[in-house]
Amino acid sequence: MSLVEFLQIWIIAFFTLSLFSFLYKDNPFYKLAEHIFAGLSAGYYVGLIWESVILQQMIDPMFNNGKWWLVFPGILGVLMFSRFSKNYSWISRISLAFVMGTTAGIFLVSELHGKVLPQIQATMKSLDPSQGFAGFILALIIIVGVISTLIYFYFSKEHKGALGGVAKVGIWFIMISFGAHFGYTVMARISLLIGRVQFLIDDWGGSIVQLFS
Amino acid sequence: MGEVLAYIGLVIVGVFLLYKTFKTDDRRYIYLAVGIFVIFPFFIPLDIPVIVSPETQQLYDAVEALPDSSTVLLTFDYYASALPETEPMSRAALHHLFRKDCKVVTLTTIPLGGPSISEDVTREMAEIYGKEYGIDFVNLGYKANYVAVLKGMGSVIDIIYPTDNSGTPLSEIPMMKDIKNYSDIDFIYVVSDNGIVDYWMSIVNAQYQIEVGCGVTAVMAPKYYAYIGSGQMTGLLGGMKGAAEYERLIGKKDEATKGMGAQSLVHLFIIFSVLAGNIIFFFERRKRFNQAGGAR
Repeated sequence: MSLVEFLQIWIIAFFTLSLFSFLYKDNPFYKLAEHIFAGLSAGYYVGLIWESVILQQMIDPMFNNGKWWLVFPGILGVLMFSRFSKNYSWISRISLAFVMGTTAGIFLVSELHGKVLPQIQATMKSLDPSQGFAGFILALIIIVGVISTLIYFYFSKEHKGALGGVAKVGIWFIMISFGAHFGYTVMARISLLIGRVQFLIDDWGGSIVQLFS
Repeated sequence: MGEVLAYIGLVIVGVFLLYKTFKTDDRRYIYLAVGIFVIFPFFIPLDIPVIVSPETQQLYDAVEALPDSSTVLLTFDYYASALPETEPMSRAALHHLFRKDCKVVTLTTIPLGGPSISEDVTREMAEIYGKEYGIDFVNLGYKANYVAVLKGMGSVIDIIYPTDNSGTPLSEIPMMKDIKNYSDIDFIYVVSDNGIVDYWMSIVNAQYQIEVGCGVTAVMAPKYYAYIGSGQMTGLLGGMKGAAEYERLIGKKDEATKGMGAQSLVHLFIIFSVLAGNIIFFFERRKRFNQAGGAR
């Protein structure tokens, strides 16, 4: 293990343990790690955007490849900074209008074509018993689940009588969905902890062993 | 026998810490218990069988069905904070793809860590399989504004990515000579820890009809089952468990498989804690009810 790798591992271990120390109580090590992370992220992000967007996609093509028309999106970008002035902040709306217009145009098609229609289609299940008992039950669950959940979110009429009954079934489906989400969330968070523990045991532990061997 | 005794000791410690939590209302005992349950299997391994889910099998089969030397776009759409869940997926995917001699194009839509993670992991895996940069794999790196990136790559990739991650113009990279846009890509393998998956589905899969398979963090997995149900997504890996399943399918037991012992143990502890907490809650409510003379 080289000296650089060794230092790298110890710095990572220091920040990992500093952040974990918050579980005991708030302390200066946790705050130090938190602030360094925020500062580094901001600095890294600025550098990356400067390199990959401003230089690579605007300045280089403009001056090296003659793509002079890139000056227009550049101006739109500069106009966004007018938001810092009370008197001229309205100018930034020109850029925002452009962003909103293009975003709406792209998403109108993609959301409808890629999400809404295929998902509606996927809930239109056949209840034909010839597909087998399991298939029939799964289709039935999807149909009942979709309809009852939609009815739960129908607020134009008071949830009483038959409507209230179906809405209650909808609540059960929503609760089961929350349960599944919670279970997966636990798994995700534990996975992150496992990752850190793996690092501390294998890498940091290994470097400590090497230090004393 | 020693291992069994150790695990019995662990259970006793877990129950004691849970008891202390309920007694003192101090959640730090729970943190300590979870910490011990996570660390323990690394010293005394717990071998938990990994059962492959149909969604993982579907993704594996889809990659397996690709003709050798196909071009696959592999994304590293995740931050460093999600590495324990997502990196094993990327490694497993690269094992599978390089083994099949696929041409791999990697990119990221994540600025913080994404470019360096994709560079490091891909080069490390390429070395194992003797793959050469520019011939067998290319790392396009990061570009801001993922919607414009995903949409723009459908027309011409080198307008969005004039250079690769190291600054080499794409026109100088032999592998990229035949890869102009999505029509030259056979499969997209998205590994992500955020909502970018929605855009790979709605912009790329829906509009360019390319098969997209995904590996996502466990938090995200329930949401994306809907895409599996509708037949839009070709396979899904959910969290560390999904990665461990894929590792089993490709026959490379790695970090995710190692973590499954701790994962299972902590899950059992949490299930037990939830049950114990509820039982104690109902008992105490009944006790208060009886102390109040049975009247509400």
